[in-house]
Amino acid sequence: MSVQETKKANRLKSGKMVNKLVNEYWQDLIHAKENGKLVVYTTGLPIGPFMAAQDMAWIHGEGYGARVAARHEEKEPQIIAERRGYNRELCSYARTQLGCVMFAERGVPDDMIVGPIASEIPTPDAIVTCYPGCSSGPQWDWAIERLFGKKIPWFNVVIPYHYGRNGSSYMSGQEFEEEVAYVKRQFEDLIRFLEELSGRPYNWDKFCELMAVTKKVGKLRMEAMEMCKAKPSPASFFDWSIYIAPVNYLTAWPGTVECLEAVKAEVQERIDNNVSAVPNEKYRLFWEGIMNWNKLGWMADKFASFDACVVAGRYTHLAFWHEPDAIDPENPLEGIAINHLECQLNLGYPITEERMMKLCRDYSIDGVILHGARTCRSFARSHYLLAESLSRKMDISSTMFEGDMVDESFYQDEIVNTRIEALLESLDAKKNR
Amino acid sequence: MISKTANSIPAISKVERAALFTLGIDSGSLTAKAVIMDGNRRIVSHSVKQLEFVSEKAVKIAMDNALAAAGLELSDMAYIVSTGYGRRRFSFANKAITEISCHAKGANYVFPDARTVIDIGGQDSKVISVDPLGNVQNFAMNDTCAAGTGQFLEVMARALGVGLEKIGELSLESLTKLKISSMCTVFAESEVISLVAQGHTKADILAAIHEAIARRITGLVGRVGLRQPVIMTGGVAKNIGVVRALEKELGVSITVPGEPQIVGALGAALFALDYALAASQNQNVGTKAPGTENC
Repeated sequence: MSVQETKKANRLKSGKMVNKLVNEYWQDLIHAKENGKLVVYTTGLPIGPFMAAQDMAWIHGEGYGARVAARHEEKEPQIIAERRGYNRELCSYARTQLGCVMFAERGVPDDMIVGPIASEIPTPDAIVTCYPGCSSGPQWDWAIERLFGKKIPWFNVVIPYHYGRNGSSYMSGQEFEEEVAYVKRQFEDLIRFLEELSGRPYNWDKFCELMAVTKKVGKLRMEAMEMCKAKPSPASFFDWSIYIAPVNYLTAWPGTVECLEAVKAEVQERIDNNVSAVPNEKYRLFWEGIMNWNKLGWMADKFASFDACVVAGRYTHLAFWHEPDAIDPENPLEGIAINHLECQLNLGYPITEERMMKLCRDYSIDGVILHGARTCRSFARSHYLLAESLSRKMDISSTMFEGDMVDESFYQDEIVNTRIEALLESLDAKKNR
Repeated sequence: MISKTANSIPAISKVERAALFTLGIDSGSLTAKAVIMDGNRRIVSHSVKQLEFVSEKAVKIAMDNALAAAGLELSDMAYIVSTGYGRRRFSFANKAITEISCHAKGANYVFPDARTVIDIGGQDSKVISVDPLGNVQNFAMNDTCAAGTGQFLEVMARALGVGLEKIGELSLESLTKLKISSMCTVFAESEVISLVAQGHTKADILAAIHEAIARRITGLVGRVGLRQPVIMTGGVAKNIGVVRALEKELGVSITVPGEPQIVGALGAALFALDYALAASQNQNVGTKAPGTENC
């Protein structure tokens, strides 16, 4: 038979350290108010250090949605959000968090049994939006503000889209420089907003200290991922998806450096001992799309069963402090602006194409999986354009299947299997030509 | 259940190939198809069985019919390849290969010049770009819903009270242009019922349905890139209305083989033959047929 169901992905063992960190973080968050901390909701880009420096707790909306989904508690909040009029086609991260906030604000309905993570989100004292390339994000926060009678202080950092106009390209050009300056000014305003909210001067020293940690964590992750250019690859996109939490909303949390040092050491050890992420790596694939958090282990095993290693992805490799060297810990605002502006969701099509082609070359990619997240059209909008370019310019084939970030009802397993198999069959045919 | 291995076939001459038989079975969502092929790449027999639901029993009927027509037994088959959505259900098959690869290979057999294959089956539509050897170069498939597929047409035919086999010809009698805006099977059915209530003719409504399908397929063709000549396979290819609408929308002529439904099973039988011949030449159980190394 074509599917070798017994083959499993050889996941990184140090991923358990991430689970420990994540558990500690969410446990602490539940008790944040009891500990006298203000709770700030954030969405979009990683801005946790801004709040952490001022001793505030922060909840990253997508991170929270992913956490709820990874614990398979997402169904009930999604149902309650839909009951309140939030259509199934809307961002599933937003629907999940909105549902949880509804539980927190109005209580859990009698006809529902809700999991502990989904039912214990602390209510917000403020909201900070920092969304690139997506209009749903600010509307999501607007909906949360409305749930609390429009009485929640709200700061919106506008991340202008980096189109690549007038010769501006990745991390260079006039458009880029002007946008960096614009975002930096907004961060200065954000710091004033947080000072006002907390009623005390901003702890700049602590902020710089946290950004030094962030830089280190970002660097370690990028170095570890880069080691996967090795053949066979010691780790996969699904491993790196786990490591998004430490670089996304946990960089300001104790233990992240040790966590990333451990994974880098494990990857090196695997290379030294010729241990691979997929037992019999035959195909090296690229994941073009956002991650599906409730199917992470399932997907890792599925691709392993086909002897296919998803080596890299736009989501993991072109975001989350992917340019750590741009951060100056003594004066970090510009570096934060650069990392946020140049994240994959905020780049014009030609720049995205150029970055993706580089990754495909660097990681010796055979084929591309287009994961069309049904409720994240800002990510899905360029799938076909990118696939067409890769096919035309690099003779790299792709296949597309629909899914979602945290709403598993959009999956149809047989369709996923057929499309993966068909892609691999076409890769075989290509090799034999 | 019969389980065969490729190394049971001795190395054979061209003359002896006529006595070597392979079987391709295509377990689709609405029909089961079987094709038996001999070692000289000649189709010995084929069978199509309409399914009430996907079951091994229905596939077995299609297979038994093909075997009976050929005067052969299942044990005579040197190699068996299954395809279609139910491809992994059959323990008697030596290999399972996707319908994308099988339609490409089958289309190449019936029309070697074809460079684009449009296959509209019961539950999905696909456009495949093929090379001169029948290998898949690129492909695109419809979204997760059944819009624009054979099942969609069945629902529309039922809503209009017209037999499925008649809707193609009837649509060619259309005199007035209408537009079906929804491609969701459920909503389109409501739209069709509403058009009937407004007094529009069945021919006009059917022509509008076929145009809607053609528009959707044109989007898939755009993703793969139109390369001529174009061949259409799958059950919907029997619907002349859809074929004409597609030709108009794409601006090209489309070739439809005599038995478009069996092209997937034919491709499976051809893969089976590659396996059987490769194994007989190499006396090696693990020998792979070209294009199926992951299987």
